[in-house]
Amino acid sequence: MTSIEAFASQTPVSPGRPALPHAFFLDAPDGSQRFCLFHTPQPGTPIRGRVLFCHPFAEEINTTRRTVARQARAMAEAGFAVMQIDLLGCGDSTGDFADAAWPAWLADLRLAHAWLSDQQRNTGGPLWLWGLRAGALLASDLAATLPEPANLLLWQPFTSGQQQLQQFLRLHSAGQWLAGDQKDTVKKLDKPAQQLAQGQPVHIAGYSLSPLLAQGMAASKLQPPSNQAPGRLVWLELGTQAASNPAHSSALSPAADKQIAAWQQTGWQVSAKTVATPAFWQTVDTEAAPELTPATLAALATAPTEQTGAAEAPPA
Amino acid sequence: MNVTDSVLRVLDDALNLQGRALAFDLNTPLLGALPELDSMAVLALITGLENQFGIGFQDDQLDGAAFATVGSLTALVEQALADAGA
Repeated sequence: MTSIEAFASQTPVSPGRPALPHAFFLDAPDGSQRFCLFHTPQPGTPIRGRVLFCHPFAEEINTTRRTVARQARAMAEAGFAVMQIDLLGCGDSTGDFADAAWPAWLADLRLAHAWLSDQQRNTGGPLWLWGLRAGALLASDLAATLPEPANLLLWQPFTSGQQQLQQFLRLHSAGQWLAGDQKDTVKKLDKPAQQLAQGQPVHIAGYSLSPLLAQGMAASKLQPPSNQAPGRLVWLELGTQAASNPAHSSALSPAADKQIAAWQQTGWQVSAKTVATPAFWQTVDTEAAPELTPATLAALATAPTEQTGAAEAPPA
Repeated sequence: MNVTDSVLRVLDDALNLQGRALAFDLNTPLLGALPELDSMAVLALITGLENQFGIGFQDDQLDGAAFATVGSLTALVEQALADAGA
């Protein structure tokens, strides 16, 4: 029995309902814990690959949880082994958000990758790094440090950490506008960007952001990993605006076009498209994104199936 | 499509109003009247307007008054468009 099958057989299954993921804590080298969810294909399903999810930033971890869970389950049903990890200071993992730093997050993702690869020794298949929003930046940084090449699946990616940082800092301003503060009463020294520059943490929308994390994230750029063989990049731009504006219905944003050209130049095989969905990362109680799940699976489906059938795999 | 219509579409998306915003007019109050308008939604709204119109707002150009009504929001966009064209 392969490790994957061992997990699948432990997973509680109710008839007619998809299997629940396996929930557990991974031990980090310092003994602290990271909460993980592992979605396994049913025994007998041809194994089509491994997926490591790189979650987005701050409150978007919560707003996207439902859509991500649905996608992960659909991927598992389609034959992918999907690993989700709450990074240091996020979700149910050890630490506060204030303790987090970009390199620590990358180390957590490497920990998750090592665990996933261990489970998958006998089943193989391509590795996909699935990044959502700022998670796309983590995925591209991570790809450069893994011992094996990876494909990338990016949902509504930020192309630079600086953009994500600016948007997050803007939440602070948004709070002030809503509180009715007038622009001239906002003291310059209170501005979060200046606090960070002075080495102070900032507190925004319930999150304490350390200067270290802000710095690490701001330095991150979406770019092809220079030290890995080029693979496949699936780029999905999400939102309702493309659909509501017929003139731009199939076009990607100019920023995306520019990025994609850079990946193609280095030999990456890119499939990029827009998918009409509600902006589910912006609100907690948004409805589902029914078109996104099949669009993602269809995009992955064109990937070659490297190995099939845990049942046909050589004995462990 | 005029500016107000586009603003309403962005507003509808950003606040996930399921088409309700399309019936708003210039006098429809926003801030204080729409429970959906929290700081995450304001951020989504501003980012959506920037993407839709290809404009950029400076944070210190903005305050609560800009989000008072559909009219004040439209005026903000028209000002930014005029600044961009100038």
